[in-house]
Amino acid sequence: MKTMSDGLEHFLSSLKDAQVSRRSVLGGGAALAAAGVLGWPAAARAGAFDGQTVVFTSWGGSYQDAEKAAYCEPFAKKTGATVLQDGPMNNAKFRTMVEGGSPDWDVVDVTIEFLYNGVESGLFEKLDRSKIHTDRLKPEFVHDYGMGCIAWSYNIGFNTNLIPKGKHPTSWADVFDLKKFPGQRLMRDRVAPQLEIGLMADGVEPAKVYEVLATEEGIKRAFGKLDSIRDNVVWWETNSQSQQLLADGEVSCGTILNGRVYDAAKKGAPIDLDWGQNIQSVDYLVIPKGAKNLGPAHGLIDEMTVAENQAKLANMIAYSPTNPDAFASIDKEIAPWLSTKPENAAKGFVINAEFWRERLDELAQRWSEWKLS
Amino acid sequence: MTGGEELSAAGRGAVWWHRLRALICVLVGLYLVAPLVIVLIISFSSAPFLSFPPPGLSLQWYDNLFGNPVWLRSLITSIEILVPTSILATLLGTAAAYGLARSRLPAAAAIQGFLMAPVVVPVIITAAGIFGFFRHIGLNGTLPGLILAHTVLTVPYVVATVGAALSVVDARLEDAARTLGASPLVCFRRITLPLILPAVLSGLLFAMVTSFDELIVSLFISTPRVRPVTVQMWSNIRGDVDPTIAAIATLLFGFSLLALLADHLARRRSAGGAR
Amino acid sequence: MQGSLKPGGYGLLVLPACALLLVFFAYPVFWLLLRSISEPHWGFANFQVLYERSIYLKVLLNTVVISLLVTLCCAVIGYPLAYTMAHGGPRVRRLLTFVVLVPFWTSILVRTFAWMVILQRQGLINDLLLWLGLTERPLALVYNRTGVLIGMTQILLPFMIFPLYSVMLRIDRSCSWAAATLGAPPLRNFLRIYLPLSLPGLMTGGTLVFIVSLGYFITPALLGGQRDIMIAQLIEQQISNFGNWGLAGALSLVLLAGTALCLALVRRFVGGQAPWGRR
Repeated sequence: MKTMSDGLEHFLSSLKDAQVSRRSVLGGGAALAAAGVLGWPAAARAGAFDGQTVVFTSWGGSYQDAEKAAYCEPFAKKTGATVLQDGPMNNAKFRTMVEGGSPDWDVVDVTIEFLYNGVESGLFEKLDRSKIHTDRLKPEFVHDYGMGCIAWSYNIGFNTNLIPKGKHPTSWADVFDLKKFPGQRLMRDRVAPQLEIGLMADGVEPAKVYEVLATEEGIKRAFGKLDSIRDNVVWWETNSQSQQLLADGEVSCGTILNGRVYDAAKKGAPIDLDWGQNIQSVDYLVIPKGAKNLGPAHGLIDEMTVAENQAKLANMIAYSPTNPDAFASIDKEIAPWLSTKPENAAKGFVINAEFWRERLDELAQRWSEWKLS
Repeated sequence: MTGGEELSAAGRGAVWWHRLRALICVLVGLYLVAPLVIVLIISFSSAPFLSFPPPGLSLQWYDNLFGNPVWLRSLITSIEILVPTSILATLLGTAAAYGLARSRLPAAAAIQGFLMAPVVVPVIITAAGIFGFFRHIGLNGTLPGLILAHTVLTVPYVVATVGAALSVVDARLEDAARTLGASPLVCFRRITLPLILPAVLSGLLFAMVTSFDELIVSLFISTPRVRPVTVQMWSNIRGDVDPTIAAIATLLFGFSLLALLADHLARRRSAGGAR
Repeated sequence: MQGSLKPGGYGLLVLPACALLLVFFAYPVFWLLLRSISEPHWGFANFQVLYERSIYLKVLLNTVVISLLVTLCCAVIGYPLAYTMAHGGPRVRRLLTFVVLVPFWTSILVRTFAWMVILQRQGLINDLLLWLGLTERPLALVYNRTGVLIGMTQILLPFMIFPLYSVMLRIDRSCSWAAATLGAPPLRNFLRIYLPLSLPGLMTGGTLVFIVSLGYFITPALLGGQRDIMIAQLIEQQISNFGNWGLAGALSLVLLAGTALCLALVRRFVGGQAPWGRR
């Protein structure tokens, strides 16, 4: 079924390309006019970026593989551009690269708190909306400096060999309970969302997390709670590490993304997740300030908005689309893994990007010092 | 050794020490070599994990390596760097070693020390410095930049090996040839070069291996557009580890082994010639 | 004589290599070190930060401790091997030289990767320990200090073995044999006679291992845990994650000064030139 719909998609897209390119032969002006009338951005022309390269940076592993298959390859095929993959993405590295002038990256997958925070420090190019089908996305995913590509969540993941399903941790307080659940803990080496998680583990209600975090005592409390299990924590930097550590039983439970649990479980790893107190987030595609290949960069972002592409990605790694039309083509067995499924969403909350907009720089610095101490 | 009761306490101790030492040597030998052999075996594994022993054998990871444009591209980049680097380093290094050996420069020791400095200074410092400098002059992420940086790191090896060989070549041979009317160039080509050729080759081989294996400087100054294979390997190790990395590791290992063998042959031939 | 070169003329041959190193090595390193006092503004603020913030001092201490431990491990493991190499038969010597040279020529990244594979929770060592019943649960052998020590010792062992070997080759064993026939117990014999004679090799090898360890990056980065960060990793982090060239310059200066100090010490006590290079 899937291959058939892929074939159909290719057939349709080749038809569209042929149509536009025939017009472009008639003259640039006509092609532009046609693009305007049909609602096609000029970037979608066949061979429009022949010989150009664009460097796409994301979070590595199975997610980037899915993005490569879902957006980069169709884009390369349509426009003749070469898409080079790099990563994993690193907030600090992104910042250093932009501040140093000419960044190596052209299109980057960033999380919502970094988008909000980075806009403040001018890290991104403002997107040219005439080159992107913003109307395909739900309005909440359209931003001046980034286009939402997936919705996902941080979850409590566990190794089913070490902790049987049904007796597994269902809250962050459980995860921090070293007596109740043996084994090492898995945590992300990043201040967001670990401070939120620390507070919830210390008994703060999800609804009150950001209220408490707004105070210095709240931040100290979060760090203090993390300190209490520190000797038993294995930190992950890349999402692939989180999968590997949990699948190998190096850790018994901890922080991991929903799509990564799905991916590892699908490949036969003994891991599962709980939706209790999940933290929902969104990834955006952005262009670093000073990037040189603006044309193909916008083209690649536009390719992401296509419903079929988003459905393909969701079917590979269980992250929710931002184009509502994509839901129709998502496999039935994927649905329970999506963070946007109402039952799942109800068990958690959305990360407060407004909080991180102002505090990310300062708290990230504090985090790296805490890690060394 | 004769066995038994007649042995003195010292003798018995010596036997034990001998056996213990043999055991230690075997263990240390395993410690040094076994990891490489294990990686080699895993690269032929049929399982998608880095498990040992592998459940079966296959060539799928080599397929993956040579079928994947990213790995292929990075391999080609590495070769594009190592060929000019090793030639350049050999030329510059041999010339410098020859100059040092035959001239009576007042500061010869200091110059030699300077030429060896890239090996003494921690590579992380060299890497950071070159990165900062290259960013200013626009050589960052370019092939010429990588070649220059690698040449800096490999010249000392050539200077050291060729210098050592020159120190045993009798300068009077050249003097004799020169009094017979040979020009310095002819002298070098006809007399000195044949004598130091094994060392020059050895330096060339070592420069090739060093450039091929270089990671730290490349990590700083390469970009996704120009990326040698070690940097690609590094970023994969930190992300998804599958036996493809074992395959690329085996390839690097095989290259080193081949170079070592070539070096051994060159040296043996020269030793035979000297006798 | 046509086209002849005076001895001074040969000196010109040194120029190209020196010029290359001046422009692409000496200047960049100098530029980096200068950042330590020029950024963010002129002064010693970066060194003050290093001195005042306990986390940086901790990393420096960590670096020294790990380097010392690696040196010790190399000495203990390398000594018997070098001894056998120096005093064994020609076949044993050839075999051992090969065994030491092969990993020596192999990339550090490859060797470190091999250790990642072997030491992981489901790796060969843990499988072996479990099978032998020596442990009930897999041990944490990697992503901590144990992993760093195991990996670095293996990688740096040749730096210890070769200097030791070359010194031991020159030790005349007839005097220790003479002592043995006079009835000196072998241990005392060894401690009184052989060990002091081999000391220069031990010192040279030890300093080499120690110096190279100080600036190590790849192995601790891949095999170490978050709390075993060494100075080279901190330099990399400061540059690529924080763009803090000032602090990176200061850390580099400290590392370089430490390296130079060790070198001067070994020159002073052992004399002669340390056998540089990977061979």
